[in-house]
Amino acid sequence: MDFDNYDFDPSIYDEMFLPDGSPREHCRQLYETLTRLSAEELVSIQERVTRSFSHEGITFAVYGDDEADERTIPVDCLPRIISSADWRHLEAGLTQRLSALNLFLEDIYGEARIVHDGLIPVDVVRGCPQYRIEMRGFSAPQGTWVAICGTDLVRTNDGFRVLEDNLRVPSGVSYMLANRKAAKSSLRRLYRSSRVREVSHYGRVLLETLRELAPEGRSDPSIVLLTPGVYNSAFYEHIFLARQLGAELVEGRDLLVNDGFLYMRTTRGLRRVDVVYRRVDDDFIDPLVFRPDSLLGVPGLMHAYKLGNVTLANAPGTGVADDKSVYAYVPDMIRYYLSEDPILANVETKLCRRPEDLEYTLDNLQDLVVKRVGESGGYGMLIGPHSTPEERGEYAKQVRADPAGFISQPVLALSRSPCLIDGRFEPRHVDLRPFVLCGRETRIVPGAFCRVALRKGSLVVNSSQGGGGKDLWVLED
Amino acid sequence: MLSRSAQGLYWMGRYLERAGHLCRLLRLQTEALVDRPLREIHFGWSRIYGSMSREPPGGGLDFGGDDSFTLADSYTLADDLTFERSNSDSVWSCITLGRENARQMRHCISAEMWTRLNLAYLRIQKLNIQEIWRAPESFYDETVAEIDTFSGVAASTMYRDEGWSFLQIGRFVERVQISTSLLLTQLAADTASTEDSEADWTSLLRAYHAFEAYDRRYGVEVRPGQVLDLLATDPMLPDSLSHSLDVVAAELDSIGPGPDARSSADVMRIAGHVDALIRCEWPDRDDREELLRQVRGYGRELHHLVASAYFDYPVEDFSAS
Repeated sequence: MDFDNYDFDPSIYDEMFLPDGSPREHCRQLYETLTRLSAEELVSIQERVTRSFSHEGITFAVYGDDEADERTIPVDCLPRIISSADWRHLEAGLTQRLSALNLFLEDIYGEARIVHDGLIPVDVVRGCPQYRIEMRGFSAPQGTWVAICGTDLVRTNDGFRVLEDNLRVPSGVSYMLANRKAAKSSLRRLYRSSRVREVSHYGRVLLETLRELAPEGRSDPSIVLLTPGVYNSAFYEHIFLARQLGAELVEGRDLLVNDGFLYMRTTRGLRRVDVVYRRVDDDFIDPLVFRPDSLLGVPGLMHAYKLGNVTLANAPGTGVADDKSVYAYVPDMIRYYLSEDPILANVETKLCRRPEDLEYTLDNLQDLVVKRVGESGGYGMLIGPHSTPEERGEYAKQVRADPAGFISQPVLALSRSPCLIDGRFEPRHVDLRPFVLCGRETRIVPGAFCRVALRKGSLVVNSSQGGGGKDLWVLED
Repeated sequence: MLSRSAQGLYWMGRYLERAGHLCRLLRLQTEALVDRPLREIHFGWSRIYGSMSREPPGGGLDFGGDDSFTLADSYTLADDLTFERSNSDSVWSCITLGRENARQMRHCISAEMWTRLNLAYLRIQKLNIQEIWRAPESFYDETVAEIDTFSGVAASTMYRDEGWSFLQIGRFVERVQISTSLLLTQLAADTASTEDSEADWTSLLRAYHAFEAYDRRYGVEVRPGQVLDLLATDPMLPDSLSHSLDVVAAELDSIGPGPDARSSADVMRIAGHVDALIRCEWPDRDDREELLRQVRGYGRELHHLVASAYFDYPVEDFSAS
């Protein structure tokens, strides 16, 4: 099928085409394969991929959705390709960024030098709802507060930009692996000849990372994955990862703390647990320390953790470093802790807590994306150009009432990638979420969960809001 | 393994066994609608409801001796047993619950098992009684085949760890319970009726895949006592009580005692005792009904003891490894 009717716009970065409309060098093989296949063949590939996702139960849940508590994640069968040079750049930037963020966390829960030295206002850190006073004075094992990070990146005409760092319980890696499996089986010959770097060893790398973080002296650590349970939106991923890790998938009710150690209830009796890869938010992990009404956590878990008898990955309190206000300071952190220039740039961000930024934001609402600092998943944000005057008026009231609760950013022309929509090639906006793992060393599997805003013209890639996924291929050198 | 995972697999085994058993009975029952006399059809429905200790919709079975009533009522009854959401023992509920347990324990079973079961689940979600009623026996046939395929896939792909043992224990504890209930219902009906019941016993043999085995062992004439002997004591018949109890005992043996020493000892004792009832006492006793009642009681006890020995044991006596 040809690309004659492809809605190409040279002003927006296209992942497959150069501004002159010719295919990028690293996408040439994909382009040729796609043009050789008929529309019927492509549709049949797409149907097969969608069907396999449904049969395998590759799902997510949407909160507040009464009709279907399990939805199959939408998937597009055309891969997005990243050149090896681009990937090297991303790899270096992500490693640098996570090093700085871990140093930041160790610092702010310790001496808070960065605050004393005036680089970040104290209220940005202490006023952040994700700052956990309970962690003050704590030093994470090997300085690794964040062992698993999922960084959202977008590409614009000016290159890659970090959209946000997900440092609490980032999800999406199972979709990365499922998308790969689907792409491999649907574009077999192309995959073989394209020299795509593998991602299937992610589970092994994660296991290695978690083992490295085990309490001292535990040579064969017992690792569990703590899930909030079957109603969590990412439950499919929890199951998937438990399987990859060969770990037990536990809920709070399966665990108990005795004498400062954590145990799980097995058919052989209680068994000590050394590392918890927790997919439960801070608020819920220990009712004795955080929310007392939590039924998802384990009473006494924080006590065992602080004694060093069990490792939590990620550590509680990491949310302060991926707060949308703190985000604006990450380039400064990199310079401060590493004495290096940031390799990956941030999106220019205005903090409405600053009067001049507030004024600018309110004056330019129609051109900006305004986000609530405490929200995620694409919720609670205003996309200026797509909003009505009434919506902007209402939103402005909320911003004025709580300026510190908002940030604003320019509307980015997210890059677009060809997708198969209703049997035709159509461009859709995409981002990518690579996963960075940090144990004794930092490791990145060469791939990412590539999210796609499947609705025409939409910039929102979140699966809860009409987004889907596609495979992302990183090519060998 | 994690107690909750073991419990999930145990229940998955139970639900799928229940679904398969009910489908086999419904296949026979809907086949009978084509050419069997009303009495047999009536008896078939009473046997299913009686063995499940469930009231039919409307409270009773009264066909009024008319073919059209029989068909209309059968449609309602089949719907109640197959697709009724509020009936926790319906085929739909059992497959949904079995699949839900599998979904939560997906990391403990093979990917192939999950896919097979998910397909069966997706299929039944799209159907209703109206759609299957043109050829209901085909639907039940296919559903039985799906569950059998799942068991086959499990046998050939699942790692033989404790998870496998608990899955098997669930399946066969369920089989003991539903078989004893069905046999007791059949016996009670036989005692109450003066009519010739050969066809009812024959259909029972077919439901248990035992027709050929019976033929080989006893010849073509179907005698209730011999059917009962075969279904209870033949260790080579996969659906017999004897075989089911053998599997339970063997799997318990391979798991070994659980953390709760007392329940563990009890579960082994009961498994041994009920096995002895079938193997040793059965041939010499005339009160088969009473014997079956005892087996059913022990079956229930086995269920509770497995739970207290391995899943819900007390942790006051703290002894961690």
